[in-house]
Amino acid sequence: MDVVVCIKQVVDPELPVRDFAIDPSTRRQVREGRPLVISTYDEHALEVGLQLKDRHGGTVKALTIGPRAAVGDAVRLALAMGADEAVVVDDPRGPDLPGVEKAAVLAAAVRKLGRADLVLTGCESADWVERVVPPLVAEALGASCVTFVSTAEFSGNGLVVRRLADDGFHVVDVRLPAVLSIASDDANRPRLPKVKDIVAAKRKPVHVWAMADVPVTSGDRRVRAPEVQGVTIPERTAKCELLSGDPAEQVATLVQRLRALKLL
Amino acid sequence: MAVELSDEHRMIQATVREFAARELLPIAADLDQRPRYPADVVAKAADLGLMGMMVPEEYGGQGLDPLAYVIAQEELARVSAGFQTIVTVNNSLVCDPILQFGTEEQRRRYLPGLASGRTLGCYCLTEPTAGSDAMSLRASAVLRDGEWVLSGTKVFVTNGVEADLCVVYARTEDTKGARGISAFLVEKSFPGVTVGKVEHKLGIRCSSTAEVVFDECRVPADNLLGQRGDGGKIALATLDGGRIGIAAQALGIARASLEDATAYVRQRHQFGAPVATFQAVRWALADMATRLEAARLLTYRAAALRAAGQPHAREAAMAKLAASETAMFAAHKAVQLFGGYGYIQEYAVERYFRDAKITEIYEGTSEIQRMVISRSLLSRR
Repeated sequence: MDVVVCIKQVVDPELPVRDFAIDPSTRRQVREGRPLVISTYDEHALEVGLQLKDRHGGTVKALTIGPRAAVGDAVRLALAMGADEAVVVDDPRGPDLPGVEKAAVLAAAVRKLGRADLVLTGCESADWVERVVPPLVAEALGASCVTFVSTAEFSGNGLVVRRLADDGFHVVDVRLPAVLSIASDDANRPRLPKVKDIVAAKRKPVHVWAMADVPVTSGDRRVRAPEVQGVTIPERTAKCELLSGDPAEQVATLVQRLRALKLL
Repeated sequence: MAVELSDEHRMIQATVREFAARELLPIAADLDQRPRYPADVVAKAADLGLMGMMVPEEYGGQGLDPLAYVIAQEELARVSAGFQTIVTVNNSLVCDPILQFGTEEQRRRYLPGLASGRTLGCYCLTEPTAGSDAMSLRASAVLRDGEWVLSGTKVFVTNGVEADLCVVYARTEDTKGARGISAFLVEKSFPGVTVGKVEHKLGIRCSSTAEVVFDECRVPADNLLGQRGDGGKIALATLDGGRIGIAAQALGIARASLEDATAYVRQRHQFGAPVATFQAVRWALADMATRLEAARLLTYRAAALRAAGQPHAREAAMAKLAASETAMFAAHKAVQLFGGYGYIQEYAVERYFRDAKITEIYEGTSEIQRMVISRSLLSRR
């Protein structure tokens, strides 16, 4: 079973808010000088792929798009966690490509890789949160697609996956090849790389492909990418209001306010 | 001399930081308040590769350089100095001398177990009447019928309760001082080894500190570590590495103090403003950060010299002296910045304060470090 896991390197979402900035000229998040990490759910996707490999053998390949020089950390971590090899599609616009474009490149790259029974991605990226990549990759590859998957297990010729739903979870039989978008779950908490695997990671193969070497077909790009008109950081305002009345009235008002804010 | 962290170092740092956050942070306060040996976390640390970091892969270790080791130790000590003590003793004081002075057979017999966490090591040098003056130790070893018969009492042995293997220093010659001492690899299961009094300590409370008694303990001749009479040399060479590990521990405690204090003074309001706006508070943070950074550079430098195989006894002593006094300084400041809240167990800084003190004492007191440093200055022509 050959698994490809798509990973994206993003500015560490754990950074303090004060370190978050947008470049108005590009309408993109400023990445320079910020620590870059594998997007949160992509790491969970990698864990799902590695668990399948641990249990059933096969290979796990990490695939990313980005400027070659800037994706080293993500690739190294993926290899240290246990991916067998990595492919970097070298594109300086990588992290800021719209999801539609990115999905087309990823689909073309998966096809170039040859055999892939399963493509895993995070259910959303930690920066743009578009959630469009997995279904579009599946569409381009003619593969099945299930989103927000927490666990996956082989069954017969396909997979049985558990998919998060508002009312609990759905159990879905999936035929291969398939694209799954992975949500976080206790069962797929990313493993820590062992120290010796960190050292061994540098001996694993990393293939760098130029964009020109990844032939994107018209079928890979069936929808037009939206154009980002503007990006702003919401202003945070804090307001304190004292509720009047006796405790019972205060509670009633409080509940009413919280409901109005859809917090209850 | 510039010391740069490689990508590999940074990834090891991130990994150990995450390990400490996942496995140690939730239990660090409890391990201090209800002291116990955290066998399950030690096993996980071993699985990650932290118990024999500098042991080459052929002996079951990770084959890392001393800088990687220092970085990892700081991360562990940042969260639990007590836990890090268990780890650093196994690495620096047990694996290291076996690797440096052991025979091939000794390395193959003992290092894979120690590096994988299947066994744990301890270092038996100090005696009731031989502390800073370690070379006056009295434990004796006599060759009888092709075996060494070892007798004596060792105190303040870290990991003494749980250890499976003891590196023991004993006098094999009548001569006084370092020359009459030899080192032995003594398995705890050898007849005649018992654990005596277990100490109750001010800090680093989840690591055991115990008396280990050797009563006519018979040790195979093959378990002599290094040459007969080389024990003093082995003990001191081992401590050069050990001091780098303790310096890293002190860095972790100092950083914990600084980070916790910085977070606290931002949110603590007095006189209508965050206390972080007061100059006295800001200067305290500045002093803590400056001393921490200086101590870290000294520690990295000592580690880099050791990695390069260059003499580093003086630099290790400097690193340990600076880092341990920085830990004490920073923890003291942190408690003061927290005020009354720094004195209660609800906040971790009181633990840092108690943990910091040992770094000025064990593996050579600050006074001994000053002796080592000044001796090296004065012996120069």
